Order: sequence, then structure tokens, then C-alpha cells
Amino acid sequence: MVRVSLDETVGEPAPFDPFELQDTVTGDIRDPYPRMADLRRQSAVHFGNIDFIGSDDPEPPLVSEVPVPVSVFGHDEVVCALRDDRTYSSTVYEGIMGVVMGPTILQMDAPRHKVQRALVSPAFRSRILERWETELVRSVVDDLIDAFAARGRADLVRELNFGFPVQVIARILGLPMVDYPKFQEWTIGLISVASNWDRAMAASEELRVYLTAVIGQRRRQPADDLISDLVVAEIEGERLSDEEILAFLRLLLPAGVETTYRATGNLLFGLLQHPEQLEALRNDRALFPQAFEESLRWEPPVTVILRKTLKDAVLGGVPIPANSDVGLFLGAANRDDRRYADPDTFDMFRQAQQHVGFGFGVHMCLGMHLARMEARVAVNAILDRLDDIRFDPDADDDPHIHGMAFRSPTSLPVCFSPR
Amino acid sequence: MVQERLPDERIDTLSLQILIDRDTCMGSGNCVFWAPGTFDLGDDGISVVLEPAEGEERQMFLAQEGCPTRAISLWRDGVEVTSP
Ligand code: HEM
Ligand code: SF4
Repeated sequence: MVRVSLDETVGEPAPFDPFELQDTVTGDIRDPYPRMADLRRQSAVHFGNIDFIGSDDPEPPLVSEVPVPVSVFGHDEVVCALRDDRTYSSTVYEGIMGVVMGPTILQMDAPRHKVQRALVSPAFRSRILERWETELVRSVVDDLIDAFAARGRADLVRELNFGFPVQVIARILGLPMVDYPKFQEWTIGLISVASNWDRAMAASEELRVYLTAVIGQRRRQPADDLISDLVVAEIEGERLSDEEILAFLRLLLPAGVETTYRATGNLLFGLLQHPEQLEALRNDRALFPQAFEESLRWEPPVTVILRKTLKDAVLGGVPIPANSDVGLFLGAANRDDRRYADPDTFDMFRQAQQHVGFGFGVHMCLGMHLARMEARVAVNAILDRLDDIRFDPDADDDPHIHGMAFRSPTSLPVCFSPR
Repeated sequence: MVQERLPDERIDTLSLQILIDRDTCMGSGNCVFWAPGTFDLGDDGISVVLEPAEGEERQMFLAQEGCPTRAISLWRDGVEVTSP
């Protein structure tokens, strides 16, 4: 069984260091939200590069034919853009993620997006996912907890949160267990794309070779797994090419592993910071959905997504020229004080409202039901097994949620009654 | 892709009428998350209203607001309504 271990052992996956994944592109950012709120109060829509470190010395605007980048900070404006996929195109990702992953649904527009999304969707419906809940997710999580339950203290980021989503995806894909360490290593490589381009490209290539062989094998001999479903999927004569299947499988790593481990961390951070809410959840697990949705509102792991305008548009009363790159700040939208009272507070008892932590519109997260289930199983296992869990007062860490484009806790040092 | 347009789904609950536009629905399943007693996904992955539909009105409004493609509309006495 694969574990994310802190000591380097031959044959084991490389130890997971979350700092490998910090996004160096946008710098070391602890709390971008006050700045986003300031910007939103000026206008929900901004032009030009935005400096989040907060220096008030904006770069001089470049004189060029290319429209300046646009940033959107208001809730209603973000929702409006995401619902208008004919104007706000996802093809903007072709030159970014597309280079590493190939042609995925993430970067497609209608009509191909609709067809492909329908082809890959069945495996991600909540009813289909039920089978994985006890059979797979709980046992993966329990194995990871076994490794530290007797110790009385642990860093949940390194020892639990990262390890489970990668194993869950590997099993859903149907990969043999002996390949999990390699798979985990490639996953880390692929998702470090922002900080280590060469490593990401190398991992992407190794995944291509490996997964191409698996796809060929499943074409000859279908099994009970997602890859087999994808090779036979057909709707009204439309099928997925090998290239599209390969791209989709590679997309699942950043989309399904990194996000879930970060989201679980953010929820645990919110709960550990508010012990009364942790207690309420411990006593009534039916509160889980509202706790998780609130954490996704308060600290969405993906804080910004991109689109490109295909034609001239008007958003929140502001004209946006055709061909503009548009950054939609999900994190800012989720804390829009025109929609949420006291938006910076994590409060699982606030009146439920839809947030945009999973995006919105036709590209709304395909894996949201899986993510909700995985996070629920992990947090339930923690509450069942780690009594009196709390931040470890003796850890000399300064745990905090960190990052710009992707956010999650640097560490979660906890202590609990050992069993 | 030629798809025959099925009749829109229309169900009356106690006081709300629920309408699902089958062309606009992209099968996210988010309505089922917010109002599991009211909605389900059919075999074709498109949302259907359960019969009998159960659940609180508040949940139905959450499903309507949470529909990423605005495929759900709610009606009372022939007038379209949104979250109060
Ligand atoms: C809490 C965890 C997660 C968060 C916060 C999250 C967030 C998002 C967001 C914001 C988008 C929209 C991107 C855009 O429109 O530009 C998205 C799309 C997507 N997500 Fe997730 N995600 C999570 C978990 C997962 C999981 C577990 C999987 C699959 C195993 C997954 C697979 C996908 C896919 C395939 C898309 C592209 C959908 C499309 O383009 O139609 N996600 N996700
Ligand atoms: S929320 Fe909207 S798009 Fe998603 S399944 Fe329900 S009706 Fe369809």
C-alpha cells in the first residue's frame, strides 16, 4: 500500500512536499482577500495587470494591439460571464493547460464540449459514485490514518490529505496497485507545472506513454473501470478518440487530486480554527454538506479561472473588447459583500447559497460529487478516529492558508488522544 | 448532433410548478445535491422532477439558483418566481 511518507525510501514515491506546489508565478501570498475587496469596491471589472502584493505602483500600461487583461471580482458579474459561454470562451486554456494535457473538455466550447462532457459524465454521477464510498475511499483513508493514529499528533496535509485523492483516482481509472507510486510521482510532477515546467513536461510525457498502453489494453480486454467505460462510450454515433481519452485522463490529475487535497485542508483549517463548529459537526454529521460548501465559499482551492471574449461584451455595465483574456476571481465572487453578510468569516451555519467554488455554467466541475464524497469520508474518518483533535499547540509551525491561484494550508499540525 | 426535443419536464408541487428545459440542462446534478427529494438525473443524464416531488420550497429555490445553466424555472400561479 502506498503512503506519502516523510522519509525517503527506495521504491516508495517521492515524499510529498506541499511547497513544491506553491505557485511561484504569483508570489507568496497569505491573504489576497482584502486587496480583492478593495478592488471590487472600486469596480467589479478591472483592466490591466493587477498587483496582489499590494504595492500601489502599477506597471505602466503597455501600448499594444492586444487588449489588456481583464479581471472580474463581483459575484453577479462572474456568474453572468460563466453562464454566457458563447461570449466567454474556454479556448483560452489551449495555450496553457492544453500544452501539458492535450485537448481536454476544459478548453472546449460548444458544440464539441457538450458531446464530450456527456460521454465522460456517467462515471461521475453521485449514484454511480456510491459504490466507491465504502469499498474504496474509506479504506484508503483508514490505511493512511492507521499510520499515525497511535502517535497522538500528525500533519494532516502531508500524512493524509494529499495521499487519498491520488489513490482514489488511480483505482477509479483501474490502474494496478504496483503502479501507484509511479502514478503519484507523475501526478506531483504534472501539477507542479507553475513552478517546474521541465518536470511537468517530463511527467506529462511519461503519463502519455503509460496511459496509452493502458488504453490499448482496455480496448482489447475491457475491465470494470473508467478507462474501459471511456473506450466504449458512444452517444448518437459520437465517440472519444484515443487522444481525447488520454487528454481527459491527464486532466483528472490536476483537476481531481490537487483540488480535493486542497479543499479538504481548507475545510479542516476552518473547523480547527472554530472548535465549536467542529464539535457541532462531530455531533451531527448531517451538517457535513453545509460545512463543506461553506469552506468552498470561504476558501475555494481554485481562486481564479480564465476565459477569452469572442466578441465585444458588456459586464456589470463595463464594456469589454473582443479577444480579451478575462480572469474570473471565484474567491472574490464568493466573498462579495453585496451577496454575503460578513463574507470573510467561516460560518457553516450561514444561510445556504450557491457559491462559485466549483465554477459555474457549462464547465461547472465534473468531479464535484466525487470531491464532496471524498471530503466527507475523510472528515468523518478523522472525527470517528481522532478524539479531541485540535491544532497542536507545541508545533512550531505557523499554519495558515497560503497561495494565490491555488490556496490551501501550508500544514495542519494536530494533536489528539492516541489510540 | 440531431436530438429530438423531448417535451419539457413540468411538475406541480403543492404550490410551485417546476420546469426543466431539457436542452439547456447539462447534467451537472447540482439540483439533485440541493433538493434530492425533488430532482433526479435520468438515464440520459438530464434532470427530471421526481413524482411525487418532495422537499422544502427553500431547497427548490436553491436548486434553481444553483443550476449552472439556468435550466430550472419555478412558477406560482402562472408567474415565474425567484428566491424570496
Ligand atoms: C473540491 C474539489 C474541486 C474543486 C474546488 C474543483 C473546481 C473546479 C472548477 C472551478 C472548475 C471549472 C474550471 C473552468 O470552468 O475553467 C472545475 C472543472 C472540472 N473539474 Fe473540478 N474541482 C474539484 C474536484 C474535482 C474532481 C475530484 C474531479 C475529477 C475527478 C474534477 C474534475 C473536473 C473536470 C474534468 C473539470 C472540467 C469540466 C468541463 O470543462 O466541463 N474536479 N473544477
Ligand atoms: S442543476 Fe441544472 S444543469 Fe445541473 S442537472 Fe440540474 S437542471 Fe441540469
